[in-house]
Amino acid sequence: MKLYDKFFNVAKRFKQIFTSGSVTNSEVSGILTAELLLIVSIILLVVLIRHVNILLCGVMTLLVAIILIANMPLIPKFKVEQEDSLNKMLFYSIITLSIIIIFIYWGGNFV
Amino acid sequence: MMNEWIPLMVVIPMLCAVIVSAFNKWSKPIKILVVIVAICIPIIPLIAQYGIHYFGGYAPMIDTVTGILYHPSITYIFNILQKIFIFVLGIVTFLVVFIYVNKYKKASGQYLFLIFMGTSSATALLLTDDIFNMFVFFEILALVQVGIVAASRLEGNFEMALRYLILGAIGSPIMLLGIGFLLATTGSVNITDIVSAIQNATISVKSPIFLMSCGLIFFGWLYASGLPPFHTIKSGIYSKAEPHAAALLQCFTVISMISILLIMYRIFHVVEFFELLVVIFSAIAMILGITLALTQTDFRRMIGFLAVGELGFIGLGIGLYTQFAITAGLFQALNEMIITALLFLGFGAIVYTTGETDTRKLGGLLQYHPKVGLMILLGGLAMAGVPPLNGFRSKLMLIQASLSCGYPELSLLAIIVSIATFVVFVKMFYTIFLRPKPKELEISKNDLPRSMIFAMGILLIMIVVIGICPNIVTYGISQYVGGILL
Repeated sequence: MKLYDKFFNVAKRFKQIFTSGSVTNSEVSGILTAELLLIVSIILLVVLIRHVNILLCGVMTLLVAIILIANMPLIPKFKVEQEDSLNKMLFYSIITLSIIIIFIYWGGNFV
Repeated sequence: MMNEWIPLMVVIPMLCAVIVSAFNKWSKPIKILVVIVAICIPIIPLIAQYGIHYFGGYAPMIDTVTGILYHPSITYIFNILQKIFIFVLGIVTFLVVFIYVNKYKKASGQYLFLIFMGTSSATALLLTDDIFNMFVFFEILALVQVGIVAASRLEGNFEMALRYLILGAIGSPIMLLGIGFLLATTGSVNITDIVSAIQNATISVKSPIFLMSCGLIFFGWLYASGLPPFHTIKSGIYSKAEPHAAALLQCFTVISMISILLIMYRIFHVVEFFELLVVIFSAIAMILGITLALTQTDFRRMIGFLAVGELGFIGLGIGLYTQFAITAGLFQALNEMIITALLFLGFGAIVYTTGETDTRKLGGLLQYHPKVGLMILLGGLAMAGVPPLNGFRSKLMLIQASLSCGYPELSLLAIIVSIATFVVFVKMFYTIFLRPKPKELEISKNDLPRSMIFAMGILLIMIVVIGICPNIVTYGISQYVGGILL
């Protein structure tokens, strides 16, 4: 029952943070779909590691799945990170630039 | 043999932009002029023959010692891909201009300047074979987008435009730096010359400067195409522009994305991890776009995030880098331009009639506007990939492409994201059209402008026709892709 409850806490927590007034069925369905979509799609992306190493893929998939489910509800946290704040946009831009350079510059030289 | 029609595709809208801006006071002649030019824009690519144009008439020269061909001037190449995309861009521009001149009694020369300048820049991005010329038009396009958002009369538009400008102040110089590094390594800004320098091993693809330029241009491409981390700002600018302008803005984004990506592929496909990064960023865009669309209550923002998610599908197709996958990605790009334009116009009609964008305050609009409701529904189904509409065709191709490339995970991801898109539409359609109308909701303008219905009808016809006969575009795109992969 704990996992089941966790899913339904997603909408409750989201409402506390972001919306005022009563919460409608369509909002709850949207938020729950978003939560499930996020978990499933991140796990699917991690499965791509099988092209590098199957054992690593198995370990990473399990690990990511556990982390994601243990940290539910994800959507409220996720939404806070994805808001229209310029500071956050700039922060993620710099992080992304660093990741790209690491992959292309060092990846191109040493792989 | 040079083709003089090619520069006209860029020059005519640009000249029109300058004229309407200079003669801002004469509203009626401006309206007549812009409608005539808007009709010409989609016609020119249809009548122009395929070919190459060298600006200044400087034809390529052969180095007699090495036997290598050099392009001393800016070169524009017009092929079937350019024809299809410029035609669709022209149609959307015409519809947007048509709605604008019917909606406002007094035409704003400055606003029309932005629309035509944007169309001209997007056309140039598709045609150019010069990486610095690409940057110039990419920069103009970014500024045009800021201007269009700033010119809208919506709350918070200036703030959003300023944020986009600030992020552009990071994205654009970084891309320019990358182009500078490329020039330093290859000694040319002509893309064909750069590609032949790489093929002839004149430059090392493992050289740090070359790799750095790849990374920096890649980052600039993320900004131009609104992929993460720029997905929030991209959806933000769509939501803060007038709906008809948002329809055009998303066309600019799609064209920037595919034209810069195709250029990057020609130059950097030899770089390790390049294709992987394109696929990963596209997959993240799909996930973030749809997840955020599901949590929105403002329908303009919802469409904005959906548009970003759909960009991920395009990148996914092109990133897999096979003839079939790139064709699927480009076909998806074409479909997205049409479908998202229809949706922005459709939801613009809702804003026009109610003045409301919050889905929680809307309802029961099907009885007031059944035609709009039906067209939005069909547009939404097309975006979600429901047969026999065009979105289904391209998404099916993408799924087949990722399966045949050995990535069933990506096929699964595409299917899941399409289902989630369907959920977003069911939710949105129910809350806006089907549920009982809230007592406090006022329908201030019951009669929608005919121009709006006409524009939506044209786009819907295109969706259905391409859905039923996808070969009219996929055959040509596939031929083009086969050519660039050689």
